[in-house]
Amino acid sequence: MTQIKERYTLTQPQKMMVFILSMSLYGLSNMITELVPEVNIGPVNFSIEYFAFIPLTLCILFHPFYAAIGASIGEVIFGEVMLGQFSGFGEIEKLVIFTLAMYVAGIIVNNPKNKVQVGIAAMTGVIIHQFLNMISDITKVWIGVDDFEAVSGLPQSVVAIEGFSFLNDVLFSGILFALLPTLYLVPRLYGKIEPLLGMKPRDNKTKYPISGILKPRFIIIGVLLSAVAMGCEFLSEAGIDIFEWEAEFGDTAIWISLAAAAVVALITIIVLVTGKNKAKRSMANE
Amino acid sequence: MAAAKSFADKLSFEQIKIELLNTAYGNDRTLIAKLDPRTLFLWYTFFGIAPWFIYSKMILAGMLVFVIGTTIMTKVSRLIIFILIMGLLGESGYLLIASFFFGGNLGIIVPLLTLTMKLSVISLASITAFCSMSPERLGEGLLRIGVPGQVSFSISYGYRMLPTLFEEYNHIFMSYRLRGKSPEKHGLFYFRTVIYFIKLAVKSFYPLLLSMAKRARTTVEALETKGGQYAFRNPAVKKLKLAKLRIGKNDYFFLLISVLYLMSIFISSHYVQF
Amino acid sequence: MNELIHVENVTFQYPGAEHPVLKKMNLSVEKGEFLAVIGSNGSGKSTLCKLFNGLIPHFYTGDFEGSVTVNGLNILNSSVADLSCHVGYVFQDFENQLVQARVLEDASFAPLNFGMEDYLQRGRRALELVGLAHLADEFVWQLSGGQKHLLALAGCLAMNPDIIVIDEPTAQLDPYHAKEIYEVLKKLNKQYGKTIISIEHHTEFIAEYCDTVLLLNKGSVIWKRPMRQALSEVDLLTELNIYPPQAAQAASRLGADHVPITLNEAVAFFKEMIPRSTPSVTKPEPVQAQEEPVIRFDQVGFSYKSMNKKQAQVLKNINLSLFKGEQVAIVGNNGAGKSTLLRLITGVKKPESGTLTVRSQSVASCTPEKMADHVAYIYQNPEQMFIDDSVKKDVAFFPKARKIKDYENKIDEILEQFDLVDLQDKDSRLMSGGQQRRASLAIGAAMNPSVILLDEPTASLDMATRKHLTQFILKLKEQIDLVMIATHDMQLVSEWATRVIVLHHGQIIFDGGKEELFSNPALMDKAGLVPPQIVTLSLALNVDPVDYSVDSFINRFKEVPEEWPLQKASQIN
Repeated sequence: MTQIKERYTLTQPQKMMVFILSMSLYGLSNMITELVPEVNIGPVNFSIEYFAFIPLTLCILFHPFYAAIGASIGEVIFGEVMLGQFSGFGEIEKLVIFTLAMYVAGIIVNNPKNKVQVGIAAMTGVIIHQFLNMISDITKVWIGVDDFEAVSGLPQSVVAIEGFSFLNDVLFSGILFALLPTLYLVPRLYGKIEPLLGMKPRDNKTKYPISGILKPRFIIIGVLLSAVAMGCEFLSEAGIDIFEWEAEFGDTAIWISLAAAAVVALITIIVLVTGKNKAKRSMANE
Repeated sequence: MAAAKSFADKLSFEQIKIELLNTAYGNDRTLIAKLDPRTLFLWYTFFGIAPWFIYSKMILAGMLVFVIGTTIMTKVSRLIIFILIMGLLGESGYLLIASFFFGGNLGIIVPLLTLTMKLSVISLASITAFCSMSPERLGEGLLRIGVPGQVSFSISYGYRMLPTLFEEYNHIFMSYRLRGKSPEKHGLFYFRTVIYFIKLAVKSFYPLLLSMAKRARTTVEALETKGGQYAFRNPAVKKLKLAKLRIGKNDYFFLLISVLYLMSIFISSHYVQF
Repeated sequence: MNELIHVENVTFQYPGAEHPVLKKMNLSVEKGEFLAVIGSNGSGKSTLCKLFNGLIPHFYTGDFEGSVTVNGLNILNSSVADLSCHVGYVFQDFENQLVQARVLEDASFAPLNFGMEDYLQRGRRALELVGLAHLADEFVWQLSGGQKHLLALAGCLAMNPDIIVIDEPTAQLDPYHAKEIYEVLKKLNKQYGKTIISIEHHTEFIAEYCDTVLLLNKGSVIWKRPMRQALSEVDLLTELNIYPPQAAQAASRLGADHVPITLNEAVAFFKEMIPRSTPSVTKPEPVQAQEEPVIRFDQVGFSYKSMNKKQAQVLKNINLSLFKGEQVAIVGNNGAGKSTLLRLITGVKKPESGTLTVRSQSVASCTPEKMADHVAYIYQNPEQMFIDDSVKKDVAFFPKARKIKDYENKIDEILEQFDLVDLQDKDSRLMSGGQQRRASLAIGAAMNPSVILLDEPTASLDMATRKHLTQFILKLKEQIDLVMIATHDMQLVSEWATRVIVLHHGQIIFDGGKEELFSNPALMDKAGLVPPQIVTLSLALNVDPVDYSVDSFINRFKEVPEEWPLQKASQIN
């Protein structure tokens, strides 16, 4: 048995199961965190930002892509749409950033039983997510304020405030709601939850060494993807000149350019996945 | 801090149901709610993006007045508008204070106010466009503009499952309480009690993960028998689903008014400077 | 000739399983049949039925051999979606089968997915057939359990399939709603010529509605027979843990060859021979009201805010004193307020008006954690009680949290008592329904409470497990001051309760002995209760006192041996 290095593949319905599972649970947790009051002591914020451990756990246990995208969509639907808080472009940005962060966390782990790996993955996921959020927030002020650099004290204070909230979130939410719960859940669920979906547990027979992740292509794609995520708003504004005066009565022309931004991001992720699988396959053949 | 103590009681099943119904039925009757989702998407595309690149205070102020008007038309509670703007001002306030530490002066106030104005326009535009749109219509609209069918399915599924899941979560949470032991002393700032509840809130997801896995399986089996998988790829299905969507007179009227208004503020901004 | 389903030599093994679930199975179902599929847990009932719409072997890709034809289609060459146009399937956990937000949307979901232009009409028609047309625009989660089940059925009917498979409809529903769904099935069968296949272990429903019965055991067909002939096999069925109607059990134990199955037959059968003269059963001594009630409700009311911001009254003006040693059954329809009443005692919910005291302590001022020192609440769904990752840890959760000395020994004792020693390291959620129930009771026992509250303890259990469980419940009273059970299971009520409280729309409409309740058909009807067959039979036969179990009914014959030859009955006893 051991010489057959099986690839971790899922059938279409199984993908759907992972998606639904991740979407419902992370969505539910979002609704709960939305309803829990937050505590601010000065600039330090002690709110339950998110239960990141849910998508992290699922990304580690199942196919990371479907778990990650499911969680992101769950967040938008349960946490925003259903509470009447859907906010358009902001959601696309969230979706891309969060999916990317969780996905990366998921592929870091090749052996869910290895606590060190799981811990590193959990923290990495949160750090990537919060870091991209920080960059995106800083960029927003940068774009929004005319002649940003010329305003004395503003650039520094933006970076300071955003940097502080980054550290705050990573240390508070990251440890309490990502690291510890993930370490608690993954070993308990591993081998137990997969059969309920009619799947085999992800095993470390499907070797995926760290060197495989750190391939140049991966890094480039990762950077590109982040650029797409951050630039989501800016990409979509490419259509602005066309649309400002003549397009009000047109129908979906602008939407095409907008959707393009999201589609590009999604395709990139998909390419990333298939690329990874290909890499894996070629490795299995070696 | 007593809020923390009663938060578990507040998170009641019935509360959630009411919350959801308010969103679902909430403002169905307003003029804006009757518009076609595509109209609102289009409208939002402008109001949600353009402010980033407009630096004229006059135009921004004009837009702000306009979106405040449309937001009021959606009959969203005024309180929401107030809280939102206060929140944005608060954030700018932080920036202002912080900038003093980095050698800034009061000259920063004007750019910050401009930024706040931009953010307000964008936020209110999204409230106008999406708060009055029922999730069902939002789903249809998204499907229409080419977002994969899984998303609109998920919105509907969310409505179906959320109350059930929430009730189950609540049961599990109570199971912990019905057998566990809460801290004898609340601790400083109810610290121990808060930690106790947070722990339960997190731990309750362990049983829920397993039971949701079982649900997901039946659901996907049922989807299979109902041809769900195949429908995501079938354009005929999409057409049937969207047969109700229609751009009518009101839509053109709404867009026309918006354009005329925008034109007038753009033109007048040439003459009025401040 | 009119063969609709043909199963030939089918063997199937789930991936990763050690043994096949179906072994060389052969079966044929004809058009217009109303077939009951019976067999104990693990006999392959659901697996067999999942062949008909191709979920096996398409969805569960195990080892499949043999051939299955449904309405002329070979399942190997047809997709699940295609087969589903011919076979509608109502799952046992039908809740998860409903995937759309609103009722009409869900009912018309399948035809929409198949791109049928008249999908809304189809959905509407299906809703009319099951009687839900008036709820078309509601959200699914606003429906009751029974209505959701009907909606799951409507979702299948929208495709107008020839065959409807329904998996254990009575397991999740109260008897009243189960009857409702069977009436709909009967209509579909008789008026619309649909073929119905129902997995069912409730033989009284089979007797009333089905034409034929398929008995499975360990993956093989034992026989398929007409209903009457099938249910007369009392010994075989009992051996396989399927309990024939009580009247048939009684007659068979008295040595009859042609046993009565329905109530009317039973009345005719026993009318002549029933010994009326000697009352044989001693009435259980009614527990006398003692000094101090264990639980006291004083004008308790409870309501919650409903959608339109009105208050929905769940309980009103509840006045009740419950005493040590009582065995209290709380009965009434779904939504009558049974669970709420129990939850108020646990402190999870606080009474809105009035006072509720447990051992003279006001519940309103206590946290649930505090109340847990006195009261144990056993959930209707045991899965919701499992919060740790093994049976043993779950049972030990309470004493461990309270740092009770030497709790380990006590836990071992309890595991033994509830027959869980071999299962103690398993995750409770992965066990069978009966094992889960036992584990949930063990959790309650480990709390060492003075009051134990059981919510529907016998729901969705097969008959054997149910019997087993009743014994545990009987044992409970030795250690516990007060046992309260909220239930639909009238057999349990009649065999166990010393006091019955009937709730109806949040109010107590009856509080007294079961004798009084069962002899008041108007009241039973109002509360939607159906007495066990043996009770109805005794009432119809005018025997006094009424018999509450088959045993006591049979004893009646034993004491007057000259009137009835008792060879067989005495062998059994």
